[in-house]
Amino acid sequence: MWAIIKKEVKSYFLSPIGYVFIGLFLAMCSVFFYLDVVYYGSLQFENMFYSASTILTFIVPILTMRMFAEERKVGTEQLLYTSPISVTKIVLGKFIAALIVIIITEICTLFYLGILYCFGTPHIQTILVTLLGFFMLSMAYISFGMFASSITENQIIAGVITIGFFIISWFLPNFSEILAPLSLINMFNKFPSGLIAIEEIATYITFTLFFVILTIIVLQRRKSVK
Amino acid sequence: MIELKNVTKKYGNFLAVDDISFNIEEGEIVGLLGPNGAGKSTTMNMITGFIEPTNGEIIIGGYDVLKNPIKAKKQIGYMPEGVPLYNDLTVKEFVRYMADLKMVSKQEKKQRIKEVLEKTNLTEVQNKLIKNLSRGYKQRVSLAGALVSNPKILILDEPTVGLDPKQITEIRELIKSLGKEHTVILSSHILSEVSQICKKVIIINKGKIVAIDTPQNLENKTNKGSIIKLIIEDETNQIEKIAKTITGIKQINFIKDNEDGTKEYTIITEEKTDIRKELFAKCAKEQMTIFELKKSEATLEDAFMKLIGNQEEEVDN
Repeated sequence: MWAIIKKEVKSYFLSPIGYVFIGLFLAMCSVFFYLDVVYYGSLQFENMFYSASTILTFIVPILTMRMFAEERKVGTEQLLYTSPISVTKIVLGKFIAALIVIIITEICTLFYLGILYCFGTPHIQTILVTLLGFFMLSMAYISFGMFASSITENQIIAGVITIGFFIISWFLPNFSEILAPLSLINMFNKFPSGLIAIEEIATYITFTLFFVILTIIVLQRRKSVK
Repeated sequence: MIELKNVTKKYGNFLAVDDISFNIEEGEIVGLLGPNGAGKSTTMNMITGFIEPTNGEIIIGGYDVLKNPIKAKKQIGYMPEGVPLYNDLTVKEFVRYMADLKMVSKQEKKQRIKEVLEKTNLTEVQNKLIKNLSRGYKQRVSLAGALVSNPKILILDEPTVGLDPKQITEIRELIKSLGKEHTVILSSHILSEVSQICKKVIIINKGKIVAIDTPQNLENKTNKGSIIKLIIEDETNQIEKIAKTITGIKQINFIKDNEDGTKEYTIITEEKTDIRKELFAKCAKEQMTIFELKKSEATLEDAFMKLIGNQEEEVDN
């Protein structure tokens, strides 16, 4: 599994994908950093993440859409699935590699925190909780993106399915009060207020597990159907 | 080493591979031969564990591919059809990744990669990106990836497709030399290739095994008599008359009129009779100039066409 993680992370940064993902995210963060933090003369770094979390809707597919779709299209999946590694490990390897990119991105955002430290002392615990929440949200998003990539050999379709799903999930509360708790992005909003919300974390983890397992099942099943 | 028992693969209602069984012993070089769409790749994909058979059992070196996939797959090096590669890696990175996937131990890894790059003549381009390589090189990169774990079994799906003649000869030589250390299965629709490289041929058509034998045996079985090719100046069709006076001729077939006024025939004679001397003398007597007179052996191609033809007749009946 380690081999796959290593190769996937490397691939993210050998191709423009890793840079585009982190670059776009940081560019948008800079805007939000100004609008949500600097503009109010505030030290609340976490405020930036309310807006930044919406960006994930559009950039997570950059990370996930090629995961399995491209391997399938180019045929390299034959190399992968004929090697002595189980499908579960292949899926986890790719999933973890994408999470590593998220962690790298979060580390990059600490740059803004550094700026705030020049002017005062931000509340570090709240920031850590926010980063944890952001990681959880990204994890859930990536698991869905990965699943979308496993069901098609067309990267674009995988990407569109992913964005479509995220947008629907985003606006669920507008349709009905009952569906509101299902909105992944709304769940995130508790974290920047410094709350470790067990209910939300449990939902994120369940959601992630569901789609990781679904991806494994899809790929496993294709062996006998293909 | 490799054992297939009643293996069947269905895609919906389409039978891609229909109840095939065969055994491959250690150290054999076996050719899987068949027209396009015969089920060669499907068979190989099932042996390598890429797809699962609908029915039947596949045993690789004592391990069932379905029940014990990790151990079975460890023994196989696979070069898939169309040589899929990771284009954004360099040659060395790719081979290293394949070594990691195949769980080559850390101590051996460096040495294996070096050896394999040398064996496939890739040392010079090892730091180039795969996407910048020509087809011939890519083929070798794929082969290097299959070889890096020093597998007991090598499975090569159409290893020479898309190469120029020089590269084809190189790859064939390489495969031959690999046959000394590995059990090799290769698929091809090029007959001469198979008869050159392989000691055993499995002919597949429409998902069924038509024949398993050595190339020589297949050639011998196909044609009991011998064939003579004749190009002669024969405006008045005298050859038939001459043929009647020679004993041992079974059949004479007119093939075509050439532009220079000569005619081409094939003459099928009884086994172990050589009528060329007599034919030459009689034609000379009639003042017919012989342009070409050649004894041709039945080739694997004939065997193949005949076997596949037979199968089709059976289906029609």
